[in-house]
Amino acid sequence: MIENFSHYAFFIASGLRLTLILTFFSLVFSLICGVSFATLRYQYWFRFVIDGFVSVLRGTPMILQLNFFYFAVPGLLGLPIDILTAGICTLGLNSSAYVAEILRGGIESLPKGQFEAAKTLRIPTWLMWKDIILPQVFRNELPTLVNEYITILKDTSLISTLGGMDLMRQSQTLAAEKFDYFGPLCVAGLYYYLLILVVTHLGKWAEKRWCHDNNR
Amino acid sequence: MITIVELSKVLGDRTVLKDISLEIVTRGSIVGLAGPSGSGKSTLLRCIQGLDEGDTGTIYGLGYKGFLFQDFQLFPHMSVLENITYAPIHVLGELDAENNARQLLRQLNLEEFADVFPGQLSGGQKQRVALARALAMHPDTLLCDEPTSGLDVVSIQDVVRILQTVKKTGTILVVASHDLEFLSSIADRIVILKAGQIVADLMPQAWEQDLKTLKQYY
Repeated sequence: MIENFSHYAFFIASGLRLTLILTFFSLVFSLICGVSFATLRYQYWFRFVIDGFVSVLRGTPMILQLNFFYFAVPGLLGLPIDILTAGICTLGLNSSAYVAEILRGGIESLPKGQFEAAKTLRIPTWLMWKDIILPQVFRNELPTLVNEYITILKDTSLISTLGGMDLMRQSQTLAAEKFDYFGPLCVAGLYYYLLILVVTHLGKWAEKRWCHDNNR
Repeated sequence: MITIVELSKVLGDRTVLKDISLEIVTRGSIVGLAGPSGSGKSTLLRCIQGLDEGDTGTIYGLGYKGFLFQDFQLFPHMSVLENITYAPIHVLGELDAENNARQLLRQLNLEEFADVFPGQLSGGQKQRVALARALAMHPDTLLCDEPTSGLDVVSIQDVVRILQTVKKTGTILVVASHDLEFLSSIADRIVILKAGQIVADLMPQAWEQDLKTLKQYY
């Protein structure tokens, strides 16, 4: 039994690389797009476009978006898109809609006076966002953002539906080969759980370090 | 220099400012804006600063105007020193911003708080940091919204002392407060607002003998 599990663990671990790469790049993508969406929303003309975009991304299933990027977009562009790119685009964009909403909530919960103080000190808009508003928003919203990134990590498993050899797909391959679903799925679950524990602890460490160090 | 011509502002069905015309030209003077709560003092200050807009009328202003918020609005994630030096460094490109800031902190008896965060300061200390932050930008005019609100007697005395020092540098100070005793102790002129209108524009001789002269307008 233990021998089986160690064999499963070894085999499924080969899917870790894709899961981690996908998580990392989706996280970066979603952070960049989420921050852009949240801040550009305050420009009158961008507001309607971004609100519409966020609404569509939040209002459609991620598996549909994944299939759209992998099967439909290449047809439209006339360019093939590999599984990893489709995964990063889907997870990154989908998550950016949620990140934008999390940040919007954080921005709106800040006192209006913080914007006014920046204005009276003649701080340029982009510096105001970069140095005054967003650092406060990130501190306040860090726990919610960590939750969002845990969701990204779990949602990377959707890429297995396209044949991406991630943790999930490796466990399915093994299950089909060994006619045993219990062991491979338990091992894959354990990998996901351990990864999420790491992310949770990193989040808590960051929270302690950045959120409670100045008696705000 | 600030010139306000027939400024009016309506919020919903309430007239917040009505036909305000005012000229503030004397450098190195303190003009008090007095009046009961809701009389339009803060709105007038915010309009002068450009944080709010009037519905009709015009405001002309020369030079940079600093603003002291009633609730300080320090940046909580920055230390006291960073709060004071951020704008001079990034906006004015000052090379000796830190030295200037430390000098201001010394003048305001806050030297030992340079590396402290605003959350660790008392109300009076926050007020002084906010003042230092505004002064670090070398304003020609400093607009102060209720600078003594929520402060104890000692802190109020500090604020009086500091504002008088600032006045000596030639800065025009416009101070909105409902505290007549405080205003009468520092102002060279007091403009009284009631229901959004100027009901009196007085010079020191009007209140030197008796504060009742001011109180009658409340």
